Amino acid sequence: MNKQPLAITVNGHERQIFVAPYYSLLDTLRDELRLTGTKKGCDEGDCGACTVILDGKPVTSCLVLAMSAQGSDVTTVEGLATPDALHPVQQAFIERGGLQCGYCTPGLIMAAVGLLQDNPRPSAEEVKFAIGGNLCRCTGYTKVVEAILLAADRMASQC
Amino acid sequence: MATFKVLEQNNPRVDAWEKVTGRATYAGDVYLPGMLMCKTLGSSRSHARIVSIDTSRAQALPGVRAVITGVDFPEIRFGSGALKDRYIMARDKVYYIGEPVAAVAAEDEITAEEALALIDVQYEDLEPVVDPLTALRAGSPSVHPDLESYEGYGFTIEGGNICTLLDADRGDVEQAFQDADHVFEDTFRSQGINQGFLEPMACVANVEANGRLTVWASTQGPYQVRAQLASVLDMPLSNIKVIPMELGGGFGAKLRLAFEAFPSLLSMKTGSPVKLINNREEVFTQNGPRHPVTNYLKTGVNKDGTIVSREAYTIFDVGAYLGAGPNSGIGHGLGAYDIPNFRLRSYAAYTNKVYVGSYRASGVADMTFAVESHMDMIAHNLGMDPLDFRLKNAIKEGDTAVNGSRVPRNGLFECLAAVKERLGLPRELPEGHGVGIALCEWRSGTGPSTASISVNEDGTVSLLTGSVDISGSDTSLASIAAESLGIAMDQVIVARRDTDLAPFTGPSGGSRIVYSQGKAVELAAEDARNKLLALAADRLGVPQDALACADGSVYVQDNPPQSLTLGQLAAMSVTSRSGPIVGNASLSTLPYAPVFSAQAAEVQVDRDTGQVKLTRYVQCQDVGVAINPMAVEGQLEGGAVQGIGRALTEDMQFDPETGAVRNPSFASYLMPLALDLPELETLLVRVPSEDGPFGARAVAEPPGFGPPAAIANAIYDAVGVRIRELPLSGERVLAALRGEGNDVAYIGDELQELKRAEGLAV
Ligand code: FES
Ligand code: FES
Repeated sequence: MNKQPLAITVNGHERQIFVAPYYSLLDTLRDELRLTGTKKGCDEGDCGACTVILDGKPVTSCLVLAMSAQGSDVTTVEGLATPDALHPVQQAFIERGGLQCGYCTPGLIMAAVGLLQDNPRPSAEEVKFAIGGNLCRCTGYTKVVEAILLAADRMASQC
Repeated sequence: MATFKVLEQNNPRVDAWEKVTGRATYAGDVYLPGMLMCKTLGSSRSHARIVSIDTSRAQALPGVRAVITGVDFPEIRFGSGALKDRYIMARDKVYYIGEPVAAVAAEDEITAEEALALIDVQYEDLEPVVDPLTALRAGSPSVHPDLESYEGYGFTIEGGNICTLLDADRGDVEQAFQDADHVFEDTFRSQGINQGFLEPMACVANVEANGRLTVWASTQGPYQVRAQLASVLDMPLSNIKVIPMELGGGFGAKLRLAFEAFPSLLSMKTGSPVKLINNREEVFTQNGPRHPVTNYLKTGVNKDGTIVSREAYTIFDVGAYLGAGPNSGIGHGLGAYDIPNFRLRSYAAYTNKVYVGSYRASGVADMTFAVESHMDMIAHNLGMDPLDFRLKNAIKEGDTAVNGSRVPRNGLFECLAAVKERLGLPRELPEGHGVGIALCEWRSGTGPSTASISVNEDGTVSLLTGSVDISGSDTSLASIAAESLGIAMDQVIVARRDTDLAPFTGPSGGSRIVYSQGKAVELAAEDARNKLLALAADRLGVPQDALACADGSVYVQDNPPQSLTLGQLAAMSVTSRSGPIVGNASLSTLPYAPVFSAQAAEVQVDRDTGQVKLTRYVQCQDVGVAINPMAVEGQLEGGAVQGIGRALTEDMQFDPETGAVRNPSFASYLMPLALDLPELETLLVRVPSEDGPFGARAVAEPPGFGPPAAIANAIYDAVGVRIRELPLSGERVLAALRGEGNDVAYIGDELQELKRAEGLAV
């Protein structure tokens, strides 16, 4: 199938690429841009491993057609850290042991970043709700929730 | 507790930075120039002869580079255990819906998928067998009529669908039942379960210019994949290099060869690298899950509550092939109790369903559900407190375990006491609320383990093992090396490994990494330390026993300033008589080290809907020593949540006519989400093991065993109904509350037949 032009900003860089019209945003990030930090767990919208921030909102990128993201701004897990420092959510995941196999981790981190943009002081219930579409088979979620609350604390006290 | 500098600290994982930044590379993240994509065609029939396969239209599709079917592989049967009962791709027959019959390599995935639709397979249907109890009966259609001709065949009885028997006996069971004051019998059934790892099976295969095959794999057992791949491709094992990539969860499902042979053969045919990634439906339909298990228990008890005899029969469905092998659950048929007389039997039956895989101590969760529900029922029947009944019969140091080993010191009683105290048991709860407990046992896994540690000139050490990192095991191994050598965690570099580079190691599974692999690391570090001490003694001109090794230096104990750093010693060693410092260790088995865990659930049951709400979950495990408490807790929490899913919602459903998986997606196979769970309370007991590294025990398996029984027992406590079949769904609870029938079929007739076939008096 003929590829079509797509202009999209990814992690602050404007990209002009060609993608097949049936390609999802997830496949585009991975196959075309080689940003493989975003994971595919199901390709059906059920696991959250592919979560990215699209125009300010967390979305499951497997359910977004790339062409529908024309002109959009996307942040993936690769776009969070600066060369000098991790994002507070990444830092908190490390300190609180919020990851094991790590396959769900980019999606969980992006869901958490999305939450904290809108709601800098979430309760534990609100955190659980925000990651309610993210499956993790390893951690049992306890340390994930703790990590997100720790990051929220630190980010709020910096403002 | 001994004092440690590295162990018992919450050190961050060695791979944490790569994982939180998205840099960790999983098999699906491997992209090679000119790489083709592979898709497989699954059988649409449960049981059929393949009459013909026409691939010509698929071959002709532009973008398709190669198509293979079963006959393109050497005609070699393989298997997971001794029994070689399957081909890697169907040749003349198919045995389950979804079984791979052809594979395509094309320039992109969509072309490969289009090509699959153009492959024409003609089948001649045979009668399928779906229910294992039917498969047992004489006169049942046979799944493998030629079973007796397969290599490694050792056992069958009438009907021909039984492929293995595991058994263990002690004492005179019949006499003990006759003499017992009470005899209790119960049958339990657990459901089909998917391992639910988040990373679908993936691999890339590439034939190098020199003819060697490289496979980037998502596996827990790179050496097992190498050996099985060599066998199905009829290739020398040394011509294959398996590179285990970051593993996105396996839980036993990725211990053996899966689909790696398809891209491998396609790469050999095309000369290009070939990648295969399963979609989620393929994970559910082609990649060995756990099948429903029926467990029958019979227990003789005296008036005072002493258990005198146990009979346990497991009917285990292996699906189309022996897959993960016989069910280890039966070895746990006594539970954590000292029972003098027993007869334990596990029969495995073939059916026309996807072959069975391993999952976190396969079969033991099913058996623990049965044993711990049964224990509760007996306690209530005798009017005893369930916890006291367990305490009375619990196995103690010095008793003889089911495997004949002496039970070494352990923390069973401490675990039960800790849970009792945390919950304030026995405890009266309001109407509709209940509390239930379960006692779980496992053994620290063992098997071939190797490690090599070289000391670098800057004082760091490089650690090389062949084991794949699962659940933070690399971090644990690095901690053990650091503790042994008296250096900081960040001074240990864990080498990336592959089967060419690293020494042979058993697969990462069965909770064996920390216990056995960790022991190898401890011994390798000791070896390196002895060499450091010998060199330092020589250079400092003091006897070796006057020296100590700590904080990155070897120093004279009476005069610490007289010292050499590890870096200085490593630099000196390069030109020393004995050469560079490398510590090595290799071991095969370690003695029996049991692991016990006590768990408790509190639930609230809605009498109108039967819905069960888990309101509290407490577990306490004897971990010996916590190599890294945060990681240990993470394992226990994650394991318990898998068990909670098994208890309440997860249920792989198979079509009763065709054996097809009916719910092959995360939308229909319900694993717990964050919102479904109460806070998990995790307690650790530390009774050091006799042989594990620094006294550590296995951690990962037991947390998942307890929830089904603990929750079933809590439901009974709340509303007085006993559910003997998993999952403990609202539907089942409601039916029981309405008094509608027994939930598990009695298997008396089948048992009589099995006993007769074995020549036991019935
Ligand atoms: S891959 Fe997008 S939700 Fe699972
Ligand atoms: S850390 Fe493995 S799935 Fe979440």
